Amino acid sequence: MGEVIVITSGKGGVGKTTSTANLGAGLAMTGKKVVVVDADIGLRNLDVVLGLENRIVYDLVDVVDGLCRLKQGLIKDKRHEGLFLLPAAQTKDKTAVNPKQMRKLSNDLKELFDYVLIDCPAGIEQGFKNAIAGADRAIVVTTPEISAVRDADRIIGLLESKGLHDPELIVNRIRQEMVQKGDMMNIDDMVDILAIDLIGIVPDDESIVISTNRGEPVVTDEKSLAGKAYRNITKRIMGEEVPLLDLNVDEGMMTKLKKMFFGK
Amino acid sequence: MVESLISFKGSKDGIYVFIKDGEFSVIKKQLEYRLKNSRSFFDGSKVINFKGKELTSHEEKELKTIMEYRYGIEVGDDKIREAKDNNKMQLIKNKKDQEIVNEVKEGDTKFVRITIRSGQVVEYAGNVVILGDVNPGGVVISGGNIIVLGSLRGVAIAGKRNNKEAIVSAYNLQPTQLRIGNIISRSPDNETSTTIGPEIASIKDDVMVIESL
Repeated sequence: MGEVIVITSGKGGVGKTTSTANLGAGLAMTGKKVVVVDADIGLRNLDVVLGLENRIVYDLVDVVDGLCRLKQGLIKDKRHEGLFLLPAAQTKDKTAVNPKQMRKLSNDLKELFDYVLIDCPAGIEQGFKNAIAGADRAIVVTTPEISAVRDADRIIGLLESKGLHDPELIVNRIRQEMVQKGDMMNIDDMVDILAIDLIGIVPDDESIVISTNRGEPVVTDEKSLAGKAYRNITKRIMGEEVPLLDLNVDEGMMTKLKKMFFGK
Repeated sequence: MVESLISFKGSKDGIYVFIKDGEFSVIKKQLEYRLKNSRSFFDGSKVINFKGKELTSHEEKELKTIMEYRYGIEVGDDKIREAKDNNKMQLIKNKKDQEIVNEVKEGDTKFVRITIRSGQVVEYAGNVVILGDVNPGGVVISGGNIIVLGSLRGVAIAGKRNNKEAIVSAYNLQPTQLRIGNIISRSPDNETSTTIGPEIASIKDDVMVIESL
């Protein structure tokens, strides 16, 4: 029996889809059977981020409506053994499914996989209610912006009211040099306001943009710091204790290198 | 004139509106008629509640609206409101107004042991103590004092019934907005509070004053 984890944020554009794709791939790399579900019906893009768009035949709505069997809707990832995608429908909207159907779908998927990751759409309306309906656990993604933190706070309140207690927090797109200058909110401030457990921090990294556009999750990139951050979060999801990424070290190294080359 | 369905009854707590069984439209008409003719009767007193005929919540609201907005008579309506989007915050059950001692020195107090997040509202006729934080976008409304044993970053409305004796205190007082009685105040723009430790907000000479505890 697997675990259903919903990845949500309230605000759009903070990295829910990227996080879902990377955590899905990361979990699959450790040998787990994982399915990532795109609950953003009408605005699907998890398939694009995973580079699987051209393989879609059936989608989530087809499965829920019984137009195909569950296994027919699942798309096998091209790189990772054990990673599957259940894509969203693009021609429908959020009202095409209801929370009851999503709960059944989540339960069915739980039977087949170790982890079911649900990519929640932005907002707090029907799409959000659908996405969280069958979840056992929630991960809230935010960025160091006041608006994103505010929305995350709202989402945590809504999750708690729906019985999803103790969600975990990913802070995405941290720029350590800006935090050090005091130009960006720091992690402690955010954790202080949101008062939930931090499960990981992901630095703002160019390699994410590149890998997203290529349809290859950055988690597989051994050299990327963001990739390492996602690998650490993967381990924490599985219950391992991993220390938080020390972004300062990297900054120090860079400065050291600069000093070596430019003598500053 | 038909039999009067409306009567006003005084008690030590205030005035009750006693309603006999009858058509709601007739009740409404008679209530307005009576209010128009005996406005002075209500000066300085408080209408506590409706008694007699069972009213639906919709009917009750309609009568209250007539009394409050057309005749400026405040009607007791104390309840803990849940946030609109059915945030089931399992808050303590409503208390009828007559049971509440609406005093800022002592009285009924509600203890809330959760973080009040954006979009959530806690409302109570007596004092409110929050054992946690009030985040930006969260609202606490109290008839008496508000004490936050944590950070107050949202909106606090104390002394809702124009009670300027009320205070707002927090371990870390950084509210979006503070209201005590009819005085509304906000933190100054472009200024971050440097005070560390508990502070207390109160009204002195119609001005909100914030002091360290």
